Order: sequence, then structure tokens, then C-alpha cells
Amino acid sequence: MEEVTRLTVSSLLLAGLYAVMAYGLGLIYGVLRVVNLAHAGMIMGGAYLTWVLHGRLGIDPYLSIPVVMGAFFVFGVVLYKGLVRFLPRGAAGGGQSLLLLFGVWLLMRNAAYLLFSGNDQAVRTGYSTQGLRLLGVSVSVNRVAVFVIALIALGALHFFLTRTYLGKAIRAVAQNPDSCLLVGIDVERVYALTFGIGSALGGLAGLLLSTIFAFNPSSGAVELLKSFVVVVLGGLGSVVGIALGALVLAFAESFSILVLPSFLTAAVGFVLLVIVLVLRPGGLFGQRVLG
Amino acid sequence: MRRLASWLPEWASPWAAAGFVVVLVALYALPLVVVLDPYTHGILTQTFMFVAAALAWNWLGGYVGQISFGHAAMFGVGGFVTARLLLSTDLPFFAAWVVGGLVAGVYGLLWGHPTLRLRGPYFAIATIGVGEATRLVATFWSSFTGGSSGISLPIPSGDFKQALYWYALYFMAAVVLLSYYLRKSRIGLGLLAIKGDVDAAGDVGVSATFYQDVVLVLSGIVVGISGGFYASFFSFIEPSDMFGFERSISLVLMGVIGGIGTILGAALGAVVYVILQENLIASYPDLYLGLYGLLLVAVILFEPLGLSGLLMRGARLVGYRPGAGVAAGGIGGAAATEATGGAPEEEPTLEEARP
Amino acid sequence: MVKSFLRSLSLWVFAVALALAACAPTQEEGDAEGGGGEVPDEVLIGATLPLTGEEADPGNFYKEGYELAFELENEDGGLEIGGETVPVELKLLDDTSDQATAVNLAERLVNRDQVDFLLGTYSTTLVEAQSTVGEQNQIPYVNGGGAATAIYQRGYKWIFGSLAPIELLARTQMEWISDQQEAGKIQDPVTIALLWENTSHGEDYRKGVQDFADESGGSFEVVLDESFELAGKDYSALLSKVRSADADLFLADAHLPDFITMHRQYVTAGLCHDVITYGARGVEKDAAKALGQENVNAIASAVWWNGQLGEQGGPNEEFINAFKEKYGSDPEWYQAMGYEAARALFHAIESAGSVDREEVRQALVDLQMESIVPEGELTFPEETGYQAQYPFVVQQNLPDGSSPIIFPEELATAEGLAPNPNCKS
Repeated sequence: MEEVTRLTVSSLLLAGLYAVMAYGLGLIYGVLRVVNLAHAGMIMGGAYLTWVLHGRLGIDPYLSIPVVMGAFFVFGVVLYKGLVRFLPRGAAGGGQSLLLLFGVWLLMRNAAYLLFSGNDQAVRTGYSTQGLRLLGVSVSVNRVAVFVIALIALGALHFFLTRTYLGKAIRAVAQNPDSCLLVGIDVERVYALTFGIGSALGGLAGLLLSTIFAFNPSSGAVELLKSFVVVVLGGLGSVVGIALGALVLAFAESFSILVLPSFLTAAVGFVLLVIVLVLRPGGLFGQRVLG
Repeated sequence: MRRLASWLPEWASPWAAAGFVVVLVALYALPLVVVLDPYTHGILTQTFMFVAAALAWNWLGGYVGQISFGHAAMFGVGGFVTARLLLSTDLPFFAAWVVGGLVAGVYGLLWGHPTLRLRGPYFAIATIGVGEATRLVATFWSSFTGGSSGISLPIPSGDFKQALYWYALYFMAAVVLLSYYLRKSRIGLGLLAIKGDVDAAGDVGVSATFYQDVVLVLSGIVVGISGGFYASFFSFIEPSDMFGFERSISLVLMGVIGGIGTILGAALGAVVYVILQENLIASYPDLYLGLYGLLLVAVILFEPLGLSGLLMRGARLVGYRPGAGVAAGGIGGAAATEATGGAPEEEPTLEEARP
Repeated sequence: MVKSFLRSLSLWVFAVALALAACAPTQEEGDAEGGGGEVPDEVLIGATLPLTGEEADPGNFYKEGYELAFELENEDGGLEIGGETVPVELKLLDDTSDQATAVNLAERLVNRDQVDFLLGTYSTTLVEAQSTVGEQNQIPYVNGGGAATAIYQRGYKWIFGSLAPIELLARTQMEWISDQQEAGKIQDPVTIALLWENTSHGEDYRKGVQDFADESGGSFEVVLDESFELAGKDYSALLSKVRSADADLFLADAHLPDFITMHRQYVTAGLCHDVITYGARGVEKDAAKALGQENVNAIASAVWWNGQLGEQGGPNEEFINAFKEKYGSDPEWYQAMGYEAARALFHAIESAGSVDREEVRQALVDLQMESIVPEGELTFPEETGYQAQYPFVVQQNLPDGSSPIIFPEELATAEGLAPNPNCKS
């Protein structure tokens, strides 16, 4: 029984992180129909930026959130304006953009490798090893902080998409770019903005990861795949769907250790991905476009 | 030339056939005429094997337009089945390769049949999942793969390693022929129709499910045989190397950089890949990943037919006009209609294409 | 207009990339005549190491060890062969931690650069793949970077390893714990949670612990036996299982980054055991920095070599002083084992008195060299497939930041802490 509580708490905390990771990917696909494989690079880059800010300038990881998100927002906009814009869009987010962004990811990995070498790095703060008790289970302070920040970020995003003019424009473009053009929405600008926001979320996910786990230039691949699983499980774009998808993945991974050898628990997400894609391509919780 | 042409099946162009035979004879005779040191000899052998694997990847990625990031799964299955057979039975090695290839083909069908109904990015993502899950299970299943310690085969004699050169050459030649057949026959037209528009293909009586399954099985068999060959060549295989994501990526890079959907392209891609791997990596190991990234971005933005597109362009400068079928590559479906090799027009919608 | 410009640009990108590949300097310098019973002008030894890629860190440590050994040897003229001194040169290539590259480059060293002998690369899988080249070309291959017994159980005749097997590492740790049981410091019988990375390194560790437990006649019981993936990230579910198993001892085998990640989660989960070990890891300065000294206290580790062996004088003192002089830092076991592998090969060449491959192989088989390894003698016994056998040293982190040798007794520089005094229950 105690083990069940422990696994429940840790999966709940993990789900927050998964949701942030996945939302950036889902948003970009939902609006631009582009599978952003460079998302993995954004996550890795976010972790390194946090590490540099902390190591060189001594800024606490949680205080550097605005800097990291801002930097990756700009990076995303530039990436869109410089590369992604030239590819066929709309419903054709197929092979070309996938492969192009895959190339961007390889370039980012190489850049990180040249700048920081292939060694594993970790962000070490005074409270890195501090724990606190939650429902009788001892958990790390960082994990709780990551969970809270993830909740705030998702809430803010939900508010932005449903209550602001810009957010509504993004949702409208996701549903029908052509009629948006007719009513005078600058679709190009919305695309750039969306790509920026998606990238900023990737950077944020990297920041949050860096406070808990070690990372190196090839990091991000596993996170990318988990993001796919969550997006596929939760359907595109809806904050609630993504949150549910993240919960399902986190619980499946954590609880599978009760029946599977621990080495194979890493495969649970992948198997889940394939099964859900095949059986319910629209996502477990239905396919809604943003909102 | 004309008389030669009358012996050939109708889908083969006499010029291509002549070029193929010349290259084949030249490569066959090379080690007999020139003294190659074992290192060069081995690199050529590996190149032939990679050309075959890249062509097989291209059947799915280029002909049907289903980009697979999971072909390492079949490469690994072929390799380990072959290794197990060679260790525990008296099967001759080429029979072990074929059995390994067949098992890999069946394994491909097992995951491919359900996932091939997905189109575009959905299929690509599913293949990543398949590849990684296979790697983890294979690493864990140590009674079959030897776990992370891998499997060692007995060290072959120097003569055998020399002989592998010709086996690899025959294998590559067979795969090139099969590639031409798949491209130019009725099957090839069916695949092109599926690549262009799955629903429309269905309307004119092309069963997407059947055609795609057939191509995946063939692709799996060839990649599996390559894996078996790799095991024989290196005499030591280990799951994280055989099933690794890097291995799947290498096939994608060969196919795309060479020129997706074209036969010449996949072959060129494999050759360039090995050249880069052997020369560049040893000299600038810090830059090779970025170079691949750069090539990939350049190909997608400027030259969807990759190296083969560049060659074609060069050929046009000197007045050669390729037939429409030669340029039926490109990543998007509509590229087939545009013989200039320019940026493909908009792809068929992926959403609607799913079941 | 723009489009045609971009097209011509793309042409250039391709052209430059290909030209770069074609013109890249192909690591081809130095040519020496190999083989033959006569005294050559120079002995050329080839090696690859993972100087980039996943294993770049240890790869560069081994490079330091190799280069120091070559430098010291050439300082007094070189190898003594048939009454003459002959300089010895190292031709080192980067295998980028990739198996196929390691094999192809070794093939290139042997067949194109005509090296006389090969030194090995680092990490078990790379050595296992690459050693096939030594065997096939019948050229002595001495490595200091592959410890898994699987490498040496293939009946190869040309592969020699200076790292003692990981099974022995586990066994040495178990012997220390067994001693503590006899002294009444640790209860008897005792339960073990055993975690191992899913690599041949981990498999050997697991086997060592299991075999010892089986032979102990009930003094040890393994109550949890789990493997985990190399470079995994989230061990919280696994550690939750460890807590439920409620074992007395925590024996894990992990690489350095995994050790740090796992132990951080171990600490924040509030776990504590009477004995904590991560195999060969524990004393690294990085770990103390990442986790805080109070959290790495009492971690025990077993290694092939420890700088404190230098206090006994002999070749160890010589090595440590030379290393400090050249690099300005203290060597760890990586550099020491690279250095020792090269020295073993030199020793064999000198006692064979020739560069004939067969004769040098025989000299390696018969090798009995005064060495820096614990107990001071390096041999390559035939019955273990020419893998060196010598005891490990167990070291433990103490609260004052030191990590003295605590076992075996004759080499110990301090007394160990058992049971772990940090656990209050």
C-alpha cells in the first residue's frame, strides 16, 4: 500500500513535467501542422542555457525562467522566419518539415557538443538534495517546484489561448487559416508567434529537467518521444487533453515497475505510443483543436 | 543498342542497363586487377552493403513516401538471427543471411501492417517508437542477443573476408535490379499512386494496404540480410549498436541526402555516407553531426532530389533529358510530376489520409 | 531570382561538403616496416581511443596514460631490442566511441599504416568489437580498457587485458563486508538490494555478488535484483522498489553520471543502508561537488588502482611523480591502467628481443612484470583467456573528505566505517 502511494505521488509530479514538454510540440503541430523534431534540441538547449546562467552568473534556475523562455521564443521565431516558412504548410506538415527540423536538431546537438563537450552536466543548487514529506512520502523539493511551475505555465497558456485576442487568433488559424486571411488576421505573424511560443515551452521544459536530471548534447531525444506519446494520447492542443495524456504516461511508466523488470519500463511509453497511434489516431481523449 | 534493348524487359532502359553492367564488371574485376589493401577492400565491401540497405529503405521512404525512423529494428533482427544460426547450426552463411532476412521481413510485417495505415509524420513517429521498443527488448532478451555483451562469431579466415566483397557485390546488384523492377513495373506505378494520394489510389483499385505491406516485407528482408552480412563481416554484434537509433538515422540520411525516391540517389547517398564516415569523422570528429544536419537542411530547402538531383541538373547542362520516371523522387508526392526536380508542390493532406 | 540564387548556393554547399570529405587529411603519417626478426629503426604501435563521443572522458584519460608511457620509454632512448635502443612511436586515432569505426580504424592501422602492435581502446563493447582485428591479423593486442570476462572467453590467442575482471571487484567488496560480519559490525545473515546497469560491466558485477552470496552458505541473501538502462534518468520508481525490498545493504553498479543521478534521488527519497556502494564509483570529486560531502560519506567503492598505493614506493611512486610532472594533476585509475597496458607491451617486446609478432605474443603469455597494480605483479594467465587477475582495493569516503584504502588489510591506510553511521533508525 505504501508503495502505491509512493508511486502515485511520484507519477503525479512527473506528469506536470511531461505536460510542459508535450505542450510545445502539440501547439506547433496543432497550428502549423509541422512536426517539430527540433523540439528535442530546444529541450537540450534550455537545459544548457539554465546551466550556463547558473554556473557563470549564479542565477537560480527558477529565477532564470523569463530569460530562458524569452531566448527560446526569439530562437523559435527566427527559425520560423528563416527556414520553416519556406516549406509547404497547412495540412502538409509531412516529410519535408520533419526532415528539415531533424537537420536543425542535428545542428543544435553539434553546436552544444562544440560549446560544452559531450560530458554530462547537472545544475547543482543548495537545495538539490533537499527532500520534503508529502502524503507521508519523502520527495525532492525540486520535483515539487517543477510540478508547481508546470501547473502555472499550463494555466497561463490556457488563459492566453482562450481569453486574449492573440490567443483566439491562434486558435482561429489552427481551425481555418484561409478564412482568417479573409477577416484580416495576419496569419504569417500568428504562425511565427506560435512557433516562438512552442519553442519557449521547449526551453522551459529543458530548464525544469535540468534541475532534476543530468543532461548532455544528445539529451532531448527521450523527452521528444515522451512528448509524442503525450500528444498522441491526449489529442492535439487542448490543455486538459495534454494533462490527461501526461498523467496516463506517467502512471503507466511508474506503475509498470510492479509487473515488469525495471529495465523494460523504459519501453512502456514506446509501446503505448504505437498502440494508441494504431487504435486511436485521434488521441484517447478525442481530437480537438486547441482550447 | 537496339538489339540489346529487345532482350530486356520493357521497363528497363538500355542505357541504364548498359551502365549497370559496366559498373558491375568494373567492380567485380577491381580487386583482381589492382592490389587492394584489406582496409580499402573492407570499406568497399561495407559500402556495397550500405547501398543495398539504403535502397531498401528508399523503397518505403521514397517510392511510397513513408519515412521510417525504425529500420534498425530489422537490421538488428537480421543480424542476430544470422549470428544465432551460424553459431548453433551448420547452415552455410548465405543461407543464414537469407533466413535472417526473412525473419526480419516477417518482423517488419508484424509492426508494419498496423502502422502503415498511418500516413506522413504519424507513421514516422510510430517507427521511432517501434525502433526504440525493439532495442530495449532486444537488450533485455539476453538469451537471444547476448544482452549488452553481444554475440561473438568465430573469427573468419582472411580468404572469407576477401570473398565477402563479391557476395556484397552480388547482393547489391540484386537489390539494384529489384529497385528498378519495383520502380518501373505495375507495382511501381501503384506505389507512386499511393504516394500521390492514397484515397485516389484506392478508387482506381490500388490496394494501399497490400502494396505497402509487400514493400515493407521486401525492404525488411533486404535490410535484415544487410544486418546478417554485417554480423559476418564484423564477427561481433551487440544490441545497442545494431538496434540503435543512430543506425536508423544513418539510413534516413543516406536516402535523403542522396536523393529520396531515386535509385541513383540512395546508392550515391550510401557511398557519400561511407566516405564521410571514414574520412571526415577521423579528421573532424566534432563536426560530422552538424555536417549531416547542414546537408539535410540544404537538401530539403534547395534540392529535394539531393545529390542525384544535382547530377541530373549537371546532365541537363550538357543536353541530356532524363525521362519522367527517372525523376519520380522527392519527398512529397507531387514531385513525381515535376521532372525539373524543383520544390514539390503541396502534399496531399495527411489528416484525411488516415483511416 | 532569389530562387535561382538559392539553387546555386545549394550547389556550392554540396560541392564544398564533398570537397571537404575528399580532401580531409586522412590521418596518414609515419610509415614503418613491420614484422621481421631484425632490429628495426623504430617500433610503431597503433591504437584508437574514444577521444570524442560518449566515452570521450575516459578516452582522453587513457590517452594521457599512453602518452606518458611512450614519453618515459623514449626518454632513455627507447626499447632495448637485441642490444640496441629503438625509439617507439604511438599512432593514435579517434574511434569516436563507435564500434564499426573502431574496427575499421584498427584494420587501417594494421594494413595501411603497418603498425607492429596494437594497444586497445576503452570500454568493453569497443574492445570486444575491435579485438577481432587483432585476432584476425594475428597481431598482439594489449588493452587496458576492457574488463568484462566476455572479451576473454572467446578463445582468442592475441588479446591481452590488464584490467582485472569486474567479478573480482564485486568479490573484493563482498569479502570486505564478510570481514565486517565476522567482526560483528554487520549483522549475519544480511539482505542485499542489488542494482546493476544493463551492460556487460553490470552483468559481471551481478554475477560476482550472486556467486559470493550463493557460496556464503546463507550469510547473504539477495532480496532485490534489478537491472537499469545506461544513462537512464528517472530512478524514482526503481528506488521505490528498493525501499519496499527493505534490504540491509545497497549494492549497485553504475557509470559516473548514473551514479550521481541515482544517488541524488536516493538521498532525496530518504533512503539509507548499512553499506552503500556503486561499484567502482564514489570517490570522484565531481560527485562530492554535485551531491555535497555529507551525502557521499560512507560510500564504499572498489577500483583497480588508487594513488595511495604510491605510499608503498616502487613503480607506483615513479608513475605518480612522472604523471604529476607532466600533467600537473593526480592520476586516477584510468590513466594508470592505460599507462600499465602500454608498459606491459614494452616489457614483452624487450624480453622477446624482437618485433616478431609470434615471439612478442609468447613474451606476453610468459609476462611477469613488476607492476603498479595492487600486489605488485602483472601477469596474463592462460586459464583466464589472458586477462590479468589481481585483487581490487576497497576505498571509502570519510567525513573529512578523504577516501583511504580500507581493504585488503595489508594495503589499508585507514579503518572503514561499517555500518554506515549516517543511518539513524
